[in-house]
Amino acid sequence: MTNPLTLAPAPRSGAAERVRGEVRDFLAEELAAGTFSTHVDTWLSGVDPEFSRKLGARGWLGMTWPKEYGGHERTAMERYAVTEELLAAGAPVAAHWIADRQSGPNLLRYGTEAQRREILPRIARGECYFVIGMSEPDSGSDLASIRTKATRNEAGDWVVNGAKVWTSNAHASHYGIVLVRTAPVDTANRHAGMSQLLIDLSLPGITINPIRILDGGHHFNEVVFEDVVIPRDMLLGTEGDGWHQVTAELAFERSGPERFLSTYPLVAEFGRRVVDSGDPAALAVLGRLSARLLALRQMSLRIAAALDRGELPNIPAALVKDVGTTFEADVIDEIRRVVDVLPSLDSPDPLARALAEAQLHAPGYTLRGGTNEILRGIVARGLGLR
Amino acid sequence: MSDQDLVVETVRGLLTRHEPFDPTPDRRWDAGLWGALAGNGLTGVGLPESAGGSGGELADAVAIVRTLASGAAAVPVAEQLLVAGPAVIAAGLSLPPVDEPLTFGHAEGVRATPAGDAWTLTGTVADVPWGSTSAHVALLATGPDGAVLALLPTTGLPASDAVNLAGEPRSTLTLDGVPALAAPLNAAQVRELRAGYALARAVQLTAALEQVLAWTVQYAGERQQFGRSLAKFQAIQMELAEMAGEVTAVTALTDAAVQALHHGSDDFWLAAAAAKVRAGAAVEVVARLAHQVHGAIGFTQEHKLHHLTKRLWSWRDEAGSELVWSKVLAQGLLADGPDGLWPALTRVV
Repeated sequence: MTNPLTLAPAPRSGAAERVRGEVRDFLAEELAAGTFSTHVDTWLSGVDPEFSRKLGARGWLGMTWPKEYGGHERTAMERYAVTEELLAAGAPVAAHWIADRQSGPNLLRYGTEAQRREILPRIARGECYFVIGMSEPDSGSDLASIRTKATRNEAGDWVVNGAKVWTSNAHASHYGIVLVRTAPVDTANRHAGMSQLLIDLSLPGITINPIRILDGGHHFNEVVFEDVVIPRDMLLGTEGDGWHQVTAELAFERSGPERFLSTYPLVAEFGRRVVDSGDPAALAVLGRLSARLLALRQMSLRIAAALDRGELPNIPAALVKDVGTTFEADVIDEIRRVVDVLPSLDSPDPLARALAEAQLHAPGYTLRGGTNEILRGIVARGLGLR
Repeated sequence: MSDQDLVVETVRGLLTRHEPFDPTPDRRWDAGLWGALAGNGLTGVGLPESAGGSGGELADAVAIVRTLASGAAAVPVAEQLLVAGPAVIAAGLSLPPVDEPLTFGHAEGVRATPAGDAWTLTGTVADVPWGSTSAHVALLATGPDGAVLALLPTTGLPASDAVNLAGEPRSTLTLDGVPALAAPLNAAQVRELRAGYALARAVQLTAALEQVLAWTVQYAGERQQFGRSLAKFQAIQMELAEMAGEVTAVTALTDAAVQALHHGSDDFWLAAAAAKVRAGAAVEVVARLAHQVHGAIGFTQEHKLHHLTKRLWSWRDEAGSELVWSKVLAQGLLADGPDGLWPALTRVV
């Protein structure tokens, strides 16, 4: 009996393996030069515009986009290899991550020609960063309940009022793609009446307030909009089609290696410790974790291959994110059961530091980008249960 | 319809006439199903015609093994097509007729001694799957200079049967200086053979996990409680989604390990180790939740579920447990030193 959520296997890609080698050499050079140090969960916490520009200069951002918009017309499989190598090394990729993964493809799909020509080449150069404006203080997982509102003024431009939260690195970003209500709530169709606006975060009326996470880091923000005037041509896609457009982003948002490699630097440190100790119990744990990781890679690669075929496999992507983020958190518990280490952010022991970083970020893994409960509801739909 | 689809359809057709059963000492295996499979040339698929097999690809053999596993078929086809058959051919021994069942056993405690053109075997081997119901057995035994693969008929060998949790015979054979064909194996060949056995069980586990998920989804849709189907309860949806995550992960990795074997990858043994570990780990979740959703009826022999969950609980510990293979996997991945883990992970599959 075939599982309806199983995609076709991904073919091996020689091009992906070639670029993987190039990225590995680049990372070794950068580490040797001391331009970055390895950390856990760097696609949230590692903002480093200079590093992002280096990646852009190497052609490793906007990889799959058309050349006329600054892209490189490479495959999703090649992009997968690049992103996976950066994450495994714990490199500082947060500045450009959302723009490269999600906002750029969104602009390619729904942006105007002018927006594409103006913004996409800057993203691909590693100079222009984006934030996702979806969730709100009272909305949480119930995205259709958002209240941020855009109304038209006399000139026909949009006037935005409301607030968005959990906006990762808004303080370091140039634009937001913000989901707003452009029509009153229709109780018969909760998903109607929403639109996406492309908002320049330097506009008057926008206030960005930090929200610190458990380790004290400033990544999240509250972005408040008070009578912010948005030019009418900054509507992204079709008015009233916001819900559909948001869900179309999800295969990009939910299937990548950042959904199972956020804590990989901890696994790598643990591996080094196992080489030293040879402890059989620790070896067994490393083997079990490795088997889970290898399976996740295959699942995620299958999604990359499906993207290359022009598909948008949203349900299998939700499944990868559920299984992958569960793994990211399990890594901590599995490892701490077989090593005697006190986690500490300022320990001289890299394993103690990685454990501390991973633990303090852990609640986020299974919340961000759709909680695992929401994801399992989507998977249940894919199984035909609802 | 591809050749492979045709093969699968044929096996499915045969399975409809050979329902799973609870084995008894009088009926330890499905001789009728074996005869039907052999009659259709399906017990030699994936083994080259030049060696006496029926030809076809590894993928065809895997498809047959998967279909039989999902049908809880009591026949040693995985052992023949994926383990013993390929091993005998690779060792340069002559393949017994493929319409007679051939199985495999780890017999490191059995001593193989050259005796002219043949060999003699002495010792006891346990846990031979279908050892008492197969015509021939290939044994990984110990010769004077290291491992050998020995091949011998089981006729007349003193055998006693233990059974696994599903009632499948796991036989003990006593070898008292019996003659056999044999060929020496090098360390890499031994490693591949062990890994091949593990992969065969992983393939079976994968198919059974997929089938258990499908049965559970179907049951949740049909079973009415409190005026609606189980499938409409969010608590049940969460459990089924968790099962689906496990099953999808296992399928992806097992497929990749089969591809590694197909392409003759040097890392095949690590891919097989990972597939076995991942499939075994999934059994914990999938079997537990399948029974939870099925409720009391699934806890009885009245319902078909147990034919597969008992096999899941057995197969995960056979051909090397998760403990064994997880350590092999970790050691293999760390072979290039403290910074070698990531390069190894991206190379294996």
